[in-house]
Formats: sequence, C-alpha cells, structure tokens
Amino acid sequence: MRKLLILDARDNVAVCLVDLEAGDLIEQDNIKIKVINRIARGHKIASKEIAKGEGIIKYGERMGHAVAPIAVGEHVHVHNILGDRLSTEKP
Amino acid sequence: MSSELRAFKRDNGQWGLRNHVLILPLHSALSATARAIADGSHGAVAISHDWSGEIDNDLPRIIFTFSGYAANPNNFAVVFLTVGSDNESEIIASAQALGLKRFTNVALPEIGSMEGLRVKAIEIANQYCADAAQEKRVPAPWSALVLGLECGGSDALSGITANPALGVASDRLVELGATSVLGETTEILGAEHLLAARAIDPEVGKRIVAMVSRYEASINYEGIDIRGAQPSRGNIEGGLSTLEEKSLGAAKKAGNAPLTGVLEFGERPKTSGLYFMDTPGHDIEQLAGFGAGHINIVVFTSGRGTPTGSAIMPTIKVSTNTPMYEAIPDLIDLDAGTIADGIETLAQVGDRIFNEILAVANGQETKAELGGHHEFSLSRMYKTTVETTERFINAH
Repeated sequence: MRKLLILDARDNVAVCLVDLEAGDLIEQDNIKIKVINRIARGHKIASKEIAKGEGIIKYGERMGHAVAPIAVGEHVHVHNILGDRLSTEKP
Repeated sequence: MSSELRAFKRDNGQWGLRNHVLILPLHSALSATARAIADGSHGAVAISHDWSGEIDNDLPRIIFTFSGYAANPNNFAVVFLTVGSDNESEIIASAQALGLKRFTNVALPEIGSMEGLRVKAIEIANQYCADAAQEKRVPAPWSALVLGLECGGSDALSGITANPALGVASDRLVELGATSVLGETTEILGAEHLLAARAIDPEVGKRIVAMVSRYEASINYEGIDIRGAQPSRGNIEGGLSTLEEKSLGAAKKAGNAPLTGVLEFGERPKTSGLYFMDTPGHDIEQLAGFGAGHINIVVFTSGRGTPTGSAIMPTIKVSTNTPMYEAIPDLIDLDAGTIADGIETLAQVGDRIFNEILAVANGQETKAELGGHHEFSLSRMYKTTVETTERFINAH
C-alpha cells in the first residue's frame, strides 16, 4: 500500500496515509523522500523544497504560505505554514 | 427519468421524506414542556431552544428560521406552543406563507396552566399522529429529494475520502434531477473561486464570491483572529493546517456539478441542481438553516465523530477514517475511510452513499434517528452578541 498520497502534480505537499517515523525512506510514483521528523497519518509532508513565503499547494490549489523554509521530507503544519486569508499577521 | 423514490406528497406540491408531527415551542420557557409532550405522545418529535422573544437585529432571521423549519415538507403537522406574543403570531403567519397548512397553536394564556397546555398539546399531537399514520408514500420524482451536504470535525482525510465520495453521490443525484445544497460559508473560504468557476452564469459566480467576502469583512470588522477556531483544535490535530486547506476539502462534498444558485440562510432552493447556502460553520446552527430551507435529507461527513442529528431531517453520518467508525459504530452510518486504505475506490464509496441516501429517503432510519438525536440551535449573527461578549469579558 502507498504511504503517501499526492493529490495533484502541482502540489508541493503530500498526505501521509500511515504514521511516518524520522528516517523512513519512501519510494513511490518516481519520487524518493527521506522522512525528517515523525508525521502522523493524515498530516502533510513536503514533497518539494519550499522557501519561506512560498505558497503551499495541495489539491493543485494554494492553501497558505510557508513562514519558514521547509525541506523535502519535513512535516508541514501550523508550526511552519499560515493561511493567506483572514490573517492577523503584522506586515 | 423515473426514480425508485417513494415520498409523502404534501397538499402544497412539496415532498416529504418523513412524516413528522413537530412540537415547536416559540418561547424558551416552553422548551422542556415541548420535550415532555413529544415523549408523552405517540411518536411526535420536539425541538428546544433558548429564544425568549428578544427583539434585536436577529429577529427577522429567527422568525424565518422557525417558520421555515415548521413549513419543512418532512412535517406532516406542527403543534406550536406559544406564550401569546406578536412575534409568535408573525412566525405562524410566516410558516403559513411558506406553505404550512396543518397546524394548531396551543397558547398558554388561553389555557391558563402548564399542565393544561401539556395535556391539550398531547391530545392534539396524538390526533395528528393518528392522521399521519394514514398517509402513504407514493412514487416521487427525483426532484422531491433535497439533499443537504454537511461536514463537521474534519480531519485531513475528509477532503480525500468522505467528502469527494459524497461529491460523487451528490453529482449523480443532481444529474438525475434532485437538489443538493452545500452550506457553511466559513468552510468554503479559500475555495469559493472553484465554485464560482462552476456557476451556471456569471451572476451566480459573483454572488458566491460576494457572500464569502461579506463574511470575511464581518470577521475582520470584529477584529477576531478566526484562526483560533478555523481550523479548530480538533481539525489541527487531524492534520489540517489552514482554513483554505479545510475549505478545499470541504467543497469536495459538492462534487463537480455546475453551481445553479446561491441561497441566503434558510432560503428554499427554487429548482433542482446544486446550490450554496450561506450558513455558519457551527453544525447544529447550520442544520437549522437547512431545515428552514426545506432540505429533507442530510449527509454529514466527519473525521472526529459526532452524534448530531435533527428532529425532522434524517441525517446520514459518514466517517472519513475507519478507526473513528470502529470507535463509535452506533453514531456512524457509513465508513469512507476504506478509500485511504486502498480497500475501496472513491466511485465504490460514492455508490454506497448514493444507495444509502435512497434507502434512508424511502424510510430506513439513520443512526441519529434511532438514537433520538434531535439537536437544534438558532443561528445568531455576530454583531448582536459582541456587546454582550465585551460586557462578559470586562466583568471577569
């Protein structure tokens, strides 16, 4: 069974279908990802290198932006990304 | 196209998928009695609420919610319980204007005692229940089915399993001539452009974008950081990081059908097709809006699990992940988690949901109905509660 679900070719994140541990090596769909930190099922993993400020793309659509650089294999969640809308961030 | 649907045809031409006798208190003080009346009757249902006739900016919305709910075609008859105010008379008149024909107003001032009211209301409810039992389901067109699409307690699998599978079922029903209504304005914020692109004409597209902008402006106006609640703590634990991500997944419930129209809270869709209704993200308030909008069946997807049901609309619960389904089997009707485990395809689960909708529409009881989950909550607008909130915060 696949460990990751890539919803759209444009996406820079994939959905974990199983709990992943740091150091796990995933090879599927012509991609190779080394898991950097523990990631729970349903959560997102970076499938591409993401720069600070860059958009997070899931379902082929922008769902927010990175507030820190994110490496391939890293957990992508509220600690390193923010939504674009209804943001109360100070510019 | 003929359908396998069998429903109750109402005098006003609408179709009910249930044949309820609803005990509807129009003052909070009569809520407990309404429950007692339903419990003491031969099968009536009741809702309770906390409205005591307050007159504020929400009054038109409240009148419309109660009157629309009363006139929902799933009701065979309604027993109103009132304390004798003008607002109550306005609600009943509004329900009649919306098509309610069979009802009785049991007014406390005329009867003089709560016990008298209870006895009188049970007597009337039982007569309605006996009449309702004489009604028979007859073959109905697909347009008789008005489906509400709802999600709550979403997780990161919602947008991959249960929601797109519900989208498959919704598309099929719309194609056959039924109506399907997506709600929860908070939960399409970030996905409204995708729905607008599917609008049948540019005006409908503009309206859905404007509806979300209106909501966004109201949130900004209040200076609230909605990110504390959207996504919620439970959503975040489930893997959702931003409101846009939640919305992109939530909008999958509406499949790929063209967007026929946009409805205000509690507004009734006038034709078949896919609609969007402006409702709050709170599940029970949003169900009240669906009930007022004459939706007669609901599918509710959930990642965290929920007992929520409605007194008048059968509510089918679909889990987004199998562990949750296995944890609370008495609350969840169907599991869509099999998609994430590669056991079933989206199309297969979509088929199961479609078949379940048809079976439930034709009378099969949902887990929420069997469990007696009759939740109801009025939806109030933000601005009327802000002052109260501020007073509360200042006092503490």
